[in-house]
Amino acid sequence: MPELGRLAVCLALLCALVSVIVSVRGALTRRGDLVRTGEHAAYAVFGLVALAVVILLRALLSHDFSLEYVAAYSSSTLPTNYVFAALWGGQKGSLLFWSFMLSLFATIVQLQNRERNRELMPWVTATLMTVAVFFLGLVTFLTDPFERLPTPAFEGADLNPLLQNYWMMIHPPSLYTGYVSASVPFAFAIAALATGRLGDQWIRSTRRWALFSWFFLSLGNLFGAMWAYEVLGWGGYWAWDPVENAAFMPWLVSTAYLHSVMIQEKKDMLRVWNMILVLLTFSLTIFGTFLTRSGVISSVHSFTQSGLGPFFIGFLLLVLLTAGGLVAYRLPELRTSGTIESFFSREAAFLFNNLILVGIAFAVFWGTVFPVLSEWVRGVKITVGPPFFNRVNAPLGLVLLVLMGIGPVIAWRRATPRNLWRAFAWPVGSALVAGVVLLVGGIPFGGAWVAFVGGVFALGTIVQEFWRGVRARQAMLHESAPRALGRLVGKNRRRYGGYIIHVGIVSIFVGIAASSVFRIEAQQTMKVGDEMRVGRYTLRYDRIDSQENGHVARTAAVLPVFVDGRQIDTLMPEKRFYKKPKQPTTEVANRSTLREDLYVVLGSYDPQTQLVTIQAYVNPLVVWIWLGGLILALGTAVAVWPTAAEREVRVVAPAGARVPVE
Amino acid sequence: MSVLRATAPLLLALLVAAAPAIAAPTQQEIEEALTCQCGCGLTVHSCNHLNCGSGEPMKKEIAERLARGETRDQILAAFTARYGEKVLSSPTFRGFNWFAWLTPFAAVLTAAAGLVVVIRRRVRSTAAAAAPAPAIPGSDTTALRARLQRELEQLDRE
Repeated sequence: MPELGRLAVCLALLCALVSVIVSVRGALTRRGDLVRTGEHAAYAVFGLVALAVVILLRALLSHDFSLEYVAAYSSSTLPTNYVFAALWGGQKGSLLFWSFMLSLFATIVQLQNRERNRELMPWVTATLMTVAVFFLGLVTFLTDPFERLPTPAFEGADLNPLLQNYWMMIHPPSLYTGYVSASVPFAFAIAALATGRLGDQWIRSTRRWALFSWFFLSLGNLFGAMWAYEVLGWGGYWAWDPVENAAFMPWLVSTAYLHSVMIQEKKDMLRVWNMILVLLTFSLTIFGTFLTRSGVISSVHSFTQSGLGPFFIGFLLLVLLTAGGLVAYRLPELRTSGTIESFFSREAAFLFNNLILVGIAFAVFWGTVFPVLSEWVRGVKITVGPPFFNRVNAPLGLVLLVLMGIGPVIAWRRATPRNLWRAFAWPVGSALVAGVVLLVGGIPFGGAWVAFVGGVFALGTIVQEFWRGVRARQAMLHESAPRALGRLVGKNRRRYGGYIIHVGIVSIFVGIAASSVFRIEAQQTMKVGDEMRVGRYTLRYDRIDSQENGHVARTAAVLPVFVDGRQIDTLMPEKRFYKKPKQPTTEVANRSTLREDLYVVLGSYDPQTQLVTIQAYVNPLVVWIWLGGLILALGTAVAVWPTAAEREVRVVAPAGARVPVE
Repeated sequence: MSVLRATAPLLLALLVAAAPAIAAPTQQEIEEALTCQCGCGLTVHSCNHLNCGSGEPMKKEIAERLARGETRDQILAAFTARYGEKVLSSPTFRGFNWFAWLTPFAAVLTAAAGLVVVIRRRVRSTAAAAAPAPAIPGSDTTALRARLQRELEQLDRE
């Protein structure tokens, strides 16, 4: 069976190669039959990779420890859901999984465009399949997941205990989906450059894909933060680790693109810039994969380190050179004569928003690679840790927050003083009031204060937009308020979906600011019956609770929680000991409310004396970050939902009929 | 340009706001300035490995040194002498390391300046193109212009 998997992967690589060659040839000679053949070869890639994935899953589920991969990343006692997750738990499997996602998306793109974008499609197919050739090449020649052990293992080494968490089921697939789907806009950009069809069409065709990729990158980052928060047990959710940065950078550039593309659609400006952003987003996903696997930059998250670094760098160089060469070649045609009439215009605000987003991405990139640079130049190893990133990015982030309030409501072209007054009187007024209230309420002037006030300002502009829209409909069409709101959003989903996403981002900003500035910590070693205080809470150490099964042994401290002498909860932070890898882990107990999290860790436990060391944190408003993610998801759903007009087109046009481009 | 002049103090205020307060060194502050050497990649303060072989002794030593009245600089120098510069959790403000701190801001400010120049040039060329509007005798251009402005605004709002 595993041999069949290996065969499928080899054939998939072959098909991908064929697809690239035939598609390019078909495009150059304008032969539709060759183009179709290229597409069919790409479908075959998907079928073959899917087969390989099924075979690997089957080997995992049937505990076939004759396979090196199965023996290394699972065991016979591993719960079934984590056996599934072991598919992406190690490098070999994750590269196969990556190839699977890529060929899946390629297939969807081809099905979507059977009758559309025919000029672009051969180049899109060729680009996607070139990426597939790279990943399948790695799987075939360097990281074969179907490799057999010389002698079958009796038992597997088990999945890393840190990965045995339900986030393992959600976080990597989200992030991979975001990473891999960034190849679709990239492929269309390359196709536009190759064909010289540089107008709006490639952008319109990939609008949903870009948003899709951005959305999953957002989720991937947030899920990663939640995972770190729940599992690593140091009281925080973001450590500016190289691997976190690797996922954050493409998100930032992708966010910049989603904004600047609106200017191209409205005013046909920034063609070159948008092209660069799309190419950069994709390059950063490859760079991110490189960071995770190369070992060049040490990281806690590098569960899958290996010597693949040079290959990724080589591929990255190929991508950058090809894309850069194409952009240079098309530069005269990409130039646009868009006009900007004033600094006080939405165009200008968007340009500065792009500047800051890409600036933050650059700062993160710079901090991530600086240790390597330092070693080259001075021969001295240094660390660029969280204090650096926080200090550099906090001011940039706060400027971004303020721009987020300005961008959506400032007038296009040129804002007159009257426009400005109409747009900003209320938001600025409420921000000022909030600022004074916060100062009086004991929040000192500082980063957090600026974040709260900026958040009120940005939120103010959004609320005002909704308010005015609803009022206008009520006045003109005599609709009830809820109906007017529904219609308002329904008529312009992209715009109001975007506003909702902004609300989510404000919530995330506020949560980050509050939890990083106003966090309270305490640590205490206690004997049974002792109490400790953290913030307004008192924790009493009552007893130890132990449980054990064949897979894992757990020890929990039972801690009733009191506020003002009244018991409100019982927390049970745990230590676990995983038996196969013989490795301990920490299970945090977290009491989460809108106001704050009480986050309790069992630091150490002495079975003889029953002494425990408890680390407790009060992290204000952390839930707002996760809530922000939820609002963001809602906003994205609103934005991508087809408008009534689009739905009609689909109903009128029978399947397979020639549908006019959007 | 007034935009730059208007935003510069704001930027400055944000920078100041983001900088940590200068006060007597605390245990936490120094723990955060040092990287745990156990390989976790976190600061000494954040590392909570069970009986961490690196973090725990470092925490103890910091407490002892603080009790002896040593300054932040003295304590960090002592650790740097032992482990090398990589023990510091962020680059020092010295020599080549300035490069680490200044490059992101320099890049953003340079790009912002470039953007301002480009926008100004475009604003001027737009104004120049729009300027020579031949007056048609007998037509009320002001009223037409006002209407055009109104309708464009209406369009923008849609």
